[in-house]
Amino acid sequence: MQQEQHGNKSAETCEEFGPRWTLFAAGELDATEIAEMNEHLLHCANCNATLAQENALLALLSSNRTEPDAALLAGCRASLEDALDQEEEHGWLRRAISTWMPGSWISPAPAWSAALLLLIGFSVGILGPRFVKHSIAPNSASQAGTSTTASTLPEIANPDDSASSSLSKLDLHTANFAGINVFPSSNNEPPQVELQLNTRQPITVQGTVNDDEVKSVLLYFLHNSQRFDADARMNAVELLRARNNDADVRAALCQTVHTDQNAAVRLKALEALAGAEPQDIIQQTLLDALVDDHNPGVRVEAINALREMAAKGQVDSDDHLLAVLRDRVQKDPSTYIRLQSAAAIRDLGPRQKF
Amino acid sequence: MGMSVAFEGDARAAATVKLAEEQALVRSAQAGDRLAFEELVRRFDREVLRLALNLVKRPEDARDIYQESFLRVYRNLHRFRFECSFYTWLYRIVTNVALDHLRRRTSRREDQAPVPEEAEGGTRDFFDRQPEMRAAANPERHLLGQELGEHIATALDRLSPRERMVFEMKHYQGLKLRAIGDMLGTSEETVKNSLFRATRKLRASLDGMR
Repeated sequence: MQQEQHGNKSAETCEEFGPRWTLFAAGELDATEIAEMNEHLLHCANCNATLAQENALLALLSSNRTEPDAALLAGCRASLEDALDQEEEHGWLRRAISTWMPGSWISPAPAWSAALLLLIGFSVGILGPRFVKHSIAPNSASQAGTSTTASTLPEIANPDDSASSSLSKLDLHTANFAGINVFPSSNNEPPQVELQLNTRQPITVQGTVNDDEVKSVLLYFLHNSQRFDADARMNAVELLRARNNDADVRAALCQTVHTDQNAAVRLKALEALAGAEPQDIIQQTLLDALVDDHNPGVRVEAINALREMAAKGQVDSDDHLLAVLRDRVQKDPSTYIRLQSAAAIRDLGPRQKF
Repeated sequence: MGMSVAFEGDARAAATVKLAEEQALVRSAQAGDRLAFEELVRRFDREVLRLALNLVKRPEDARDIYQESFLRVYRNLHRFRFECSFYTWLYRIVTNVALDHLRRRTSRREDQAPVPEEAEGGTRDFFDRQPEMRAAANPERHLLGQELGEHIATALDRLSPRERMVFEMKHYQGLKLRAIGDMLGTSEETVKNSLFRATRKLRASLDGMR
């Protein structure tokens, strides 16, 4: 009789507790409620079974979980970085558009808006080709007359363009550097290079630095210095040195001098620029390194290279150059650089008063 | 007891420092510091990717959600006024993007099929649909088998996008119902009901599998 009463009480309480087992399993109840339900569990087989089912369901679903692996995460981060780069490039345009044309302008007067868009479309369609034709014509003429030289090529290569050819952007963006092997050539040919990259599947790129695919990968190392270790970048600079008159290579080496976080790589890039043209760009890069680089070894290399260029008559001795050298004579913490800067001024022009 | 109090005090102090760091990062990012923004991304992106991957299952879809979410964060960071934690604000954006994705997928019949067909015409199990995961040893694969994986995928597909989101955030992101309500812009009671419905549907679908 007593057991029957207890059973009835349990049945009533089970209805009350019913949906709360979901919250119990989810850890959403406070301490008082938990104690109350634990007490109930002591004498209710039905609720014990319900709770067991609840936990079994969660365990079953947990077994189907997926953890993102490192490659997927790295791929996502790389894609996001690219998207943010584009966002920054086009951000000014969107801001300008949103300033002059707020998002709501088109909705109150759809007919006028459509008419305005058509007008803009016609204008661009009619005037655009004429404008493009005029602006392209002189360039085409000069290209027709002579073969393409380094100076007619764009000075700053787009990092994304350099990662072209059969290696897709995705491959390079998700690639990790695995190793590089250099096999010296017996004659005067550039050495054979074997670049090993880890993506979803390992990739090996082989050839000389004259092969565009090899060049693309090496440039990619330099353009994405934060993703590849200093050894990889040093090797890239060393190999690209043979093509330092290629516009893409020169731009990448100059960028490396300005931005690489490793002083040895910057130093190597400065060395690799020796003999490259056009001289005004090289000279400016050397001056930037002489003024801005915090590493004295890099600055020493920069002033030495400047003096070598001056000795060959390759330096444009203008006011800016002399001002920079005078500044170094007075301010550089390195005695050697101060002396060499003074010597460079003597080499380059009339004696100056300091 | 004394040690426990000291430990709690240390934990609280560490949390305060972390919050202050996070706020400083957000302010720097709002001022246009790209590195600060990337640091914020790295603090939260693994969790965001895990949420996305377990909601949509396909790595390429998860990647889309990841990218769209963080781009929206980047574009709207200047609107963040510190009225809630950055985490909550971020998750509002992520859940919106993920819900949109799930709704679009639900509306596309070809995407509703729980198991896509192989080129040869056969079918693949849940794990086969995720090539990136194969490299990692997964002992559950041996236990679950093809049929079980398919059943679970089908059961999850029967949930509405919101039910699925609530279930995922509660049981696998470990969030409280109130926090989920904040992120989804709804009340705790509504979230609770979504959790009840999701659990009921899953129980019915997977009855006999446990």
